[in-house]
Amino acid sequence: MTQAVLAEPAPLPLPDFGSEPWWLIIIKVLFVFVFLLVLTLLTIWGERRVVARMQQRLGPNRTGPFGVLQGLADGLKLAFKEDIIPAMADRPVYLLAPIVSTIPAFLAFSVIPFGPTVSIFGHRTALQLTDLPVGVLFILAMSSLGVYGIVLAGWASGSTYPLLGSLRSAAQMISYEVSMGLALVAVFLYAGSLSTSQIVDAQRSRWFIIAVPISFVIYGISCVGETNRAPFDLPEAESELVGGFHTEYSSLKFAMFFLAEYINMITVSAVATTLFLGGWRAPWPLSLFSWANAGWLPMLWFVAKLCIFLFIFIWLRGTMPRLRYDQFMHLGWKVLVPGALVWLLLVATARALSFRDFLLYAGVPAAVVLLAWAFWPTGGRQDRPPPPVERGTPPRYPVPQLDAEPLRRSAGKEVTRA
Amino acid sequence: MTPTDIPAPSIAYGPLWPMIAVFLAAAIGVLVEAFVPARRRRPVHLVVALAGLTGGLVAVALVARNHHHPTLIAERAVAVDGPTLFIQGTLLLLGIAAVLLLGERSLDSTGGTFVAAAAVVPGSRGERQLTASSTMQTEVFPLAMFALGGMLLFPASNNLLLMFVALEILSLPLYLLAGLARRRRLLSQEAAVKYFLLGAFSSAFFLYGIAMLYGYAGSVDLGAIFTATGTVGSNDTLLYLGIALLSVGLLFKIGAAPFQNWTPDVYQGSPTPVTALMASGTKVAAFGALLRVFYVAFGPVRWDWRPLMWGVAILTMGVGAVLAITQTDVKRMLAYSSIAHAGFILTGVVALNRSGLSGSLFYLLAYGFSTLGAFAIVTLVRDADGEATHLSQWRGLGRRSPALAGIFALFLLAFAGIPLTSGFTSKFAVFSAAISSGATGLVVVGLIASAVAAFFYVRVIVLMFFEAPAPDGPTIAVPSVLTYGAIALAFAVTVVLGVIPGPLFTLADKAALFVR
Amino acid sequence: MSTVTTATATATATVLAASPQTSVSEAVVFWIVAPVAIAAALAMVFSRHAVHAALLLVVDFFCLAVLYAAQDAPFLAAVQVIVYTGAIMILFLFVLMLVGVDSSDSLVETLRGQRVAAAALALGFVVLLIGAIGSATLQMPSQGLAAANAEGNVIGIARLLFTRYVFAFEATSALLITAALGAMVLAHKEQVVPRVSQREMSRRRFAGAHPTPYPSPGVFARHDAVDTPALLPDGTAAEPRPPVLEGSSNQAGRAGDPAGPGATGSGS
Repeated sequence: MTQAVLAEPAPLPLPDFGSEPWWLIIIKVLFVFVFLLVLTLLTIWGERRVVARMQQRLGPNRTGPFGVLQGLADGLKLAFKEDIIPAMADRPVYLLAPIVSTIPAFLAFSVIPFGPTVSIFGHRTALQLTDLPVGVLFILAMSSLGVYGIVLAGWASGSTYPLLGSLRSAAQMISYEVSMGLALVAVFLYAGSLSTSQIVDAQRSRWFIIAVPISFVIYGISCVGETNRAPFDLPEAESELVGGFHTEYSSLKFAMFFLAEYINMITVSAVATTLFLGGWRAPWPLSLFSWANAGWLPMLWFVAKLCIFLFIFIWLRGTMPRLRYDQFMHLGWKVLVPGALVWLLLVATARALSFRDFLLYAGVPAAVVLLAWAFWPTGGRQDRPPPPVERGTPPRYPVPQLDAEPLRRSAGKEVTRA
Repeated sequence: MTPTDIPAPSIAYGPLWPMIAVFLAAAIGVLVEAFVPARRRRPVHLVVALAGLTGGLVAVALVARNHHHPTLIAERAVAVDGPTLFIQGTLLLLGIAAVLLLGERSLDSTGGTFVAAAAVVPGSRGERQLTASSTMQTEVFPLAMFALGGMLLFPASNNLLLMFVALEILSLPLYLLAGLARRRRLLSQEAAVKYFLLGAFSSAFFLYGIAMLYGYAGSVDLGAIFTATGTVGSNDTLLYLGIALLSVGLLFKIGAAPFQNWTPDVYQGSPTPVTALMASGTKVAAFGALLRVFYVAFGPVRWDWRPLMWGVAILTMGVGAVLAITQTDVKRMLAYSSIAHAGFILTGVVALNRSGLSGSLFYLLAYGFSTLGAFAIVTLVRDADGEATHLSQWRGLGRRSPALAGIFALFLLAFAGIPLTSGFTSKFAVFSAAISSGATGLVVVGLIASAVAAFFYVRVIVLMFFEAPAPDGPTIAVPSVLTYGAIALAFAVTVVLGVIPGPLFTLADKAALFVR
Repeated sequence: MSTVTTATATATATVLAASPQTSVSEAVVFWIVAPVAIAAALAMVFSRHAVHAALLLVVDFFCLAVLYAAQDAPFLAAVQVIVYTGAIMILFLFVLMLVGVDSSDSLVETLRGQRVAAAALALGFVVLLIGAIGSATLQMPSQGLAAANAEGNVIGIARLLFTRYVFAFEATSALLITAALGAMVLAHKEQVVPRVSQREMSRRRFAGAHPTPYPSPGVFARHDAVDTPALLPDGTAAEPRPPVLEGSSNQAGRAGDPAGPGATGSGS
């Protein structure tokens, strides 16, 4: 777009991984770890504050300034709680499950680029823990490993509701992974690579949210399903399944599930940022200046975009009612997957014909239509007026009458009839 | 932005049309399943499937006319040569007859030989409701077409990877079809599970063999393996292991001796039209692939694998012929007979010369039609519980329905190899080829096995014609034109090839040259 | 763990390419992962518990993925995890959990001596394989990873898949359609009678003789809580809930009631 940006060399694929000094790698690992933990705590706090505001409440405001330490306090409280292992639990699997769900959540973040090449203690390095030629596939693989944590937790608890929750979760995550993967293929077609750094590099002139808007919509919907967040939080629907897969978990193990859920949320937000919103690249008017895309500043853009996504997650939770399970599967398999396939066909055709702008002009309205279709209230039957009450024939079901006066008299009569 | 351009390979799609036509018909069948209302699906399926097969047949004829020089197309993956075209033609003809049998539904008062809804648990209340209805699982047509497509591809593939894919394409639908019988559903489902488990196991062996051969030759291309076997000093252990493991997979599919266990159970349990398709089509296709692998890739090391094949052939003929005598069920007897015939055809493989190849091709065509016709007749002999397959129920059938029993007797005589039937000519062809390549011992065993086999074929004929019919014996159902058509086709081929085998012999002989 | 190994694996690509010998890091990865893989595979075979066996298989698949990555095939590694570990084994577990296999596994042998025969044959096969592969010296000219991965692993695979094996790739579509069709055949039931909607169900229920829920299994009760008095702590019958009038219009009463009909209707 600008001379400066184009002049900035982005070696493809980033070659210097593996040849970095060990201390640099440790610094990066630590940074990613701490970044995720801190962001999780802030997200928990933010979620409670934002949802509270949406519900005309105040939210936590006592622990630290604006209650910002609330997440930390909750975590400490969880750590000191009694750790219960149900008698019916399958012990090894029960203990393994929270670990299995947490580790992949952290690992997935290792290929997310935070920023361009910078200088750390005189050593030039990219702000990314590692860069794989199959980076995005690695993220998908890690998210599919994370499913095991939930599935095993539900099964190993030896209890009904967790089992139902874990079955739901297995079906849900596999289903939504399909549409998620299909949505990403269009990005790969445009970027010509599976590596995160190269995908960011391919968005110099145009973010992929503009190039492949429908993919973005489909990814956005399916990543909510993938992370088990409201309105798709059926595996832990408290009105149906108590707590779902983590009903029997307590103390630190529960905290680990909690952590994994929020890190997954952060990860899918980071992936969305990287794949569709230009990663660490500065937003449009700023991207005209070369300083906006160099040095440490891009990390700010990255975190800002990430936070927008996190806010959307919270917003969804605050406003959307939970879907029924069959509606949810219907959306996944009959709307998102075919939609993604058709869109992929269009993208591939357009790419083959080198006819890109067609997608730009056709895609944006199509994305709007798809969104409207997905969220359109299904079934017009609810809109019909209720059938008129049939007078004359009294209903056979004894409808209680709540008037105080004439009740006594008829009570005995009714009971004897029954 | 695009780092590398991968030039699209140019594929001459013309000679692939026999397969494309069948796969296309299968895909259209899936769409029919999705969009045509249930009542009209069966006739539409029939038309689509028959059109696809006929189209394939026309394509085979056109390819045979236009491509005089055998070629390797699609990046050397598909061989278009005489054996391919001959086997594809055979398979398409057999396919037409098999689809006619699949489409039959006037035999059973409740509609066809296929289950109304496979997902309903056998014996449940929902099943009783559905059995009375005339619905059927019409997916059998696209499934059969996919199986046929895989069969067409199997003997045509010139690299082992494609061959494996083709093996799976032909097997997977058959595993499913085996479990879709309308009557005796548990037996049918058991057959499907057995076939699936053992088939998956044999596929694993096949795949393992491919890995070994790749380790040996550095390629899965049959030609490259041939080249590698010609060079001295390579690592022969991997080659032998590869040949052995690959053979396990192939011998399983043809039902040869140490791997024949599945055959009787699966043939008995499957719906009879599917058994007909399996017994004829699968055998032809698998033998085509076996011939190609051994003739094209393993020719130079023939002295290493021929003793093994000798053993397998002898064992197969022996097991098939001897065990068939003890059978009391027609379908099981035919299954053991098919095992014995696999042994006979293996003598043609062992011969490893041009007349052996042409003899095997001829045998496959002749045997395919005889066995398909025999199973077609089995579908007609019925009592209240469906097909009456116990041999005692066939007693005196010749007195009740002389024409039908006569045709069945003709097929049995063809199996036995009596002159003036196709069986005689084909046996003569493979045995003479085996003798010319020095496998006289094998031929002697083959002749003894034929004699033993003739005993039980003749026993059935005696049972049908010279014994009094049982009072509560089965009735002969009156089929529609579909079954008649299939039987007539099989009958005609069996008679014509017995009386005037000359033209087809010439054709098979002309076709008997593999491209490498 | 895997990140580190994959990272080092990609890092050692150049080392690998340069020498035909196995690099040190690859050897380290191999000697850590391979025993785990074999142990997991053996444990899977001997595990009595179906879910544990499936989990050990997952471990095995994951070890394979790590080995692929160590051998400089990151694409294969990722696909192995996504497809096998992430999709297929999850479905396996799904079925195992749903069916609950551990309840009634019959361990009676129907074929006598088959276990011994199978073990002997398997042992023989293993010995044969080990002997054969062990004696095999791989002398054929190998291109090496450098040539195979010259343009990058992903592009290398794409090149093979879309040129030399393109027809096999295309033919696989038939296999996939068959699989989908087969799943439909085995699992899908055509809706013969029209599905009963929630509205219809509630209508039927309230029109029938028994609108309230039936007592749970094991509860001996002739009546449901709606029309039988609850018991107070001292055992006497409680004041009956505001009861009902048969046949009388109760529209008027409902309007003025602060608690609303829901207060009593909650039992149904």
